[in-house]
Amino acid sequence: MVVGMLAFIGVFVSTYLTLYKFGYIGALQCAVGSCETVNTSRWATFFGLPVAAWGLGFYVAALALVFVGIQERYADSRGVALALVALTGWGVLFSGWLTYLELFVIDAICIWCVTSAVIVLVMFAVSVLDYRDQRVAGSG
Amino acid sequence: MVKKSKSKSNTPFYAALAIIAVVGIGALAYVATRPKNVATTVEPAAVVAGEPQGYLLGKPDAPVQVIEFADFECPACAQFATLSEPDVRKRLVEPGLISYRFYDYPLAMHKNTWHASNAAACADEQGKFWEMHDQLFNEQDRWNGQATSRPKSQFQGYAKAIGLDVDKWEQCYDARKYEPRIKANEQMAIKRGASQTPTFVIGNQMVGGAISYDRFKAMVDSALVVAKNAPPAAGSGDTAKSTAVPAKGPGGQ
Repeated sequence: MVVGMLAFIGVFVSTYLTLYKFGYIGALQCAVGSCETVNTSRWATFFGLPVAAWGLGFYVAALALVFVGIQERYADSRGVALALVALTGWGVLFSGWLTYLELFVIDAICIWCVTSAVIVLVMFAVSVLDYRDQRVAGSG
Repeated sequence: MVKKSKSKSNTPFYAALAIIAVVGIGALAYVATRPKNVATTVEPAAVVAGEPQGYLLGKPDAPVQVIEFADFECPACAQFATLSEPDVRKRLVEPGLISYRFYDYPLAMHKNTWHASNAAACADEQGKFWEMHDQLFNEQDRWNGQATSRPKSQFQGYAKAIGLDVDKWEQCYDARKYEPRIKANEQMAIKRGASQTPTFVIGNQMVGGAISYDRFKAMVDSALVVAKNAPPAAGSGDTAKSTAVPAKGPGGQ
């Protein structure tokens, strides 16, 4: 459920950045770093869509998986837990790549992107712990 | 046992989601409705008259006159230039619906923007302002004040890439011969009340921010209605390039 809450926070963070990218809001609120430098760089678009929009899809998918997982019929399903581990693991890799680009290629940090990366990392860690707990409960 | 404990714990989860939703939606609603780029009416006569130092794209006698005040180093300007402007050129400038004039509005906070305006003005001398304009915005993160304190070498690369006589361009760049023009453009932006970059004057409306193509088009449509009921616009003395350069895709490199 922690994963679900984090995913829901991520939905709003990525929606904010997506709205910025599509020009629906003015300048980004960016107390730390250079959000606009990052979000107007060439790396802010991936396969024709803003990276933030991909992030939004990721968080929505994770949230959907959490909702499936809390249904009683799937309460003991290790498959859902494993799917969350896989999804968030992919998210960690993708966020890691984006953070690398920020630090070493773009030379600017976007606090919202870092926030998202931290959220994904914690989601992954909690998902792994949940999956491990389920395995222990299943074998016990 | 596991099932029972899971179903019991769902209520706090839903409560937490509700709190996150309220906070998140409230924050998004706030940033989306901030009066950041609200359209305001400006003096129509001032819009139509134009100024002699703008860089023109399209037919000068198009039914709707559009002016952009922009800073080459401003990220929002780059966002507009790479995301919305390709559509503006292809769908509005090329069909002759609008004329588009660019005026420098270099902001003091940007270290290299004057150099960029200088580079663009010198490209204009060889008839390639818009090609340099595109290079500057597409590559903004490579030459801006955060990337370098010596942007000239980057600009030289762009001059070469767009087919300028680089020696001639460099002489112009080093002489800073167009700084009076850039200063005049900046003063015009201030005089017109441009409070941010980019700022657009579309017909008799002024709007600021990296607006979407759809919003831009909607403003052009209303300006077209006004233009139908008004006498044709007078020509201007811009450094005119009446041929629109081909539109590029967003963020195209």
